[in-house]
Amino acid sequence: MVFGNAPRALRPYICSSCAKSLKLRSRKFATAASPDIYDVACVGGGPAGLSLLTALRSSKATSHLRLALIESQDLDRVRKWNLPPDQYSNRASSLTPSSQAFLSQIGAWPHIDTSRVQPYHHMRVWDGLSSTARITFDSPTPEPAIAHMIENQNLTRALLARLDSLEPISLLDKTSVREIHLGPPPSPLTPEPTYLNLSSYPHVTLSSNQTIAARLLIGADGPNSAVRTFAGIETRGYDYNRDGVVATLKLPSSFAHHPSSPRGVTAYQRFLPSGPIALLALPGPYASLVWTTTPSQSALLKTLSPEDFTAMVNAAFRLSAVDLNYMFTLPSNQLSEFQWRDSVHPSTASEAKGEIPHLISSVQQGSIASFPLRLRHASSYTTSRIALIGDAAHTIHPLAGQGLNMGLSDSKALAEAIEYAVCHGADIGDEMGCLDRYKGEVWWGNQRLLGAVDKLHWLYSVGSGPVVGVRKWGLRAVDVMGDLGVKGWLMRQAGGL
Amino acid sequence: MAIRLRNFRNLSLLLRQHPYRTHSSSTSSVNPTEVSHFEKLASSWWDPHGSSSLLHQMNPLRHDFISLCLDSQPDPPPARERKFLDVGCGGGIFAESAARLKETERVLAVDPSSGVIAVAKEHAKRDPLLSKPGRLEYQNKSIEDLAIPRSPDEQFDIVTLFEVIEHIDQPASFLKSCFPFVRPGGWLIISTIARTWTSWLTTKVVAEEVVRMVPRGTHDWDKYINEQELRSFFRAQEGWGRDGGLKSQGCIYVPGLGWKMVKESERWGNYFIGVRKDLDR
Repeated sequence: MVFGNAPRALRPYICSSCAKSLKLRSRKFATAASPDIYDVACVGGGPAGLSLLTALRSSKATSHLRLALIESQDLDRVRKWNLPPDQYSNRASSLTPSSQAFLSQIGAWPHIDTSRVQPYHHMRVWDGLSSTARITFDSPTPEPAIAHMIENQNLTRALLARLDSLEPISLLDKTSVREIHLGPPPSPLTPEPTYLNLSSYPHVTLSSNQTIAARLLIGADGPNSAVRTFAGIETRGYDYNRDGVVATLKLPSSFAHHPSSPRGVTAYQRFLPSGPIALLALPGPYASLVWTTTPSQSALLKTLSPEDFTAMVNAAFRLSAVDLNYMFTLPSNQLSEFQWRDSVHPSTASEAKGEIPHLISSVQQGSIASFPLRLRHASSYTTSRIALIGDAAHTIHPLAGQGLNMGLSDSKALAEAIEYAVCHGADIGDEMGCLDRYKGEVWWGNQRLLGAVDKLHWLYSVGSGPVVGVRKWGLRAVDVMGDLGVKGWLMRQAGGL
Repeated sequence: MAIRLRNFRNLSLLLRQHPYRTHSSSTSSVNPTEVSHFEKLASSWWDPHGSSSLLHQMNPLRHDFISLCLDSQPDPPPARERKFLDVGCGGGIFAESAARLKETERVLAVDPSSGVIAVAKEHAKRDPLLSKPGRLEYQNKSIEDLAIPRSPDEQFDIVTLFEVIEHIDQPASFLKSCFPFVRPGGWLIISTIARTWTSWLTTKVVAEEVVRMVPRGTHDWDKYINEQELRSFFRAQEGWGRDGGLKSQGCIYVPGLGWKMVKESERWGNYFIGVRKDLDR
């Protein structure tokens, strides 16, 4: 649209002698290979990238921008995602009220299949070594909920549906990034007054051989971000030497969380020496498991029969850490082991009080999976004409369920910075005019959250000694001091308020 | 008391009508020493960490103040096809940003320094949007060298003088030479700095000497004009500022936070003032 003089702008690409020989054909050649210039080109169509583009398209101030999405997956698979009501994806996240508000603001929330979304109102968190130390979070009223459990695919499908309903953007799916480079420097051989200097614009060559240039290139391309590598932005962090084991679980149908239940729905998390195990309610009798454990224990869990896996989950919420460790040494038959150990120390009283979850009855076939856990934080989110969002900018321990929410809050802050820049005539790729505002808004907050969650992980992975006593005291203290605001602070962190 | 006396002295300077010209160009308010000073600054104009950093940071507030003026009109203008004339555009910080706005049809930006105009033209080539024909035009001229518009079609909706009048020898005649370029119902928008002990301390001592944020000699404190002086000057002009068409607002630079609009601060340091040409003029 703004690029009427493309052939001239292309001249710097062609050496002077070639230019002469190409003279006759140059017009045709230039049209075929000149970079298409976008205001915002986003690499990666996950929740962060899709929500950014949707936010830009749905705001009056930025809806006119030229947008492109580069995504290696087939977006039709996202659009057509559908599961029967008795099956749930094992990749589900806890969506905070502020994330939900953002999704409503950009018009994506109505596209979510809410029959597959489960709000929860209480959290029970306790220490696996000192079982008397526990903390209870209660939402004072049924509304708003602490958070909503949602399958990631339900969310991305909704974002894409909303984006599809707006003025079309260039959706370059089934397309990967082959190479990123800066535009050529202005050449003294091009004295035309109308030439363009695109030397600061990232040019992305795609697997389709097409090259596009971007005023602002967004890296929403995950932990191994190609955009981040191109920008030369360092990341700091380390691997936890832990796996996150996920699965979709089923409770007895009689225990189905009833949406109108006056008690509301509870999320459970127990800190075991190897890491926390969390059970998060999905609609009906279903629940999502996130179990942080060592790679060897994770490997064993994946070899177990569905019955033995279910028994291990039940054991992890009910038995002592010593019992659980013993059960990890057995190659199989965890079910019968669990049954007699649980009969020795019955946990039915705790269960009746709602302190621990109901017994799990089964695991959804094929839903057990694991991934290595990492802590990563990019030293900056921006350089000239580049911004990183979501997992490209940070990878967090899943114990607080904040990964997805951080990505959405990045998108919100970046969309707001772009909107401010557009309304004030700034170049949206400019650091001072636009990007510094985004970085200033989110980097320190994310750093604090990453640090806090990291410390929590190390605090609870200590198996014995004085630290156990301290954290037992600490967790109790937090619970007792609930009315003094400490718990409120923790809850606000969990809820991202 | 000393400050008050100075105020009066400068008020008479502002109202002085007789020409005092030292410029090569036939009729110009421009001081050649000022021009050569800004020639030297040209190369660093677009360096975000250079001496123009404060101007870059102030630029969004200029747009906010223009919006404030337009929104205060009893007859809000349509948000489209706006024409700007930026007088003393320097390297084009404001001119580029005005040309990028959706509602802008055309920006004409002039500056008497050929060095800064060359920098401005070169920088605009970095943005395809600005290369749209007619969208942004730079001319190496002073306002007196521009042809006076003969019809409202040739006039501008908004004429801006950002950080300019404090560098001018005869501000009154300079402002009057800008008048014919504003269309009836359009605005003349000015930003400058008040002549107070605070502005002397911040611009002459802190900015130029202590932290060296801007090069020595950038400011001539004696030329600063106070908001009250500009206000009474515009009040005295026939055909300007009727029906609330005279607005001002102060802004303060807060280290670490940037520029902030602060009520009443127009008496102390940097401020904006906007005056509207009466519709029936």
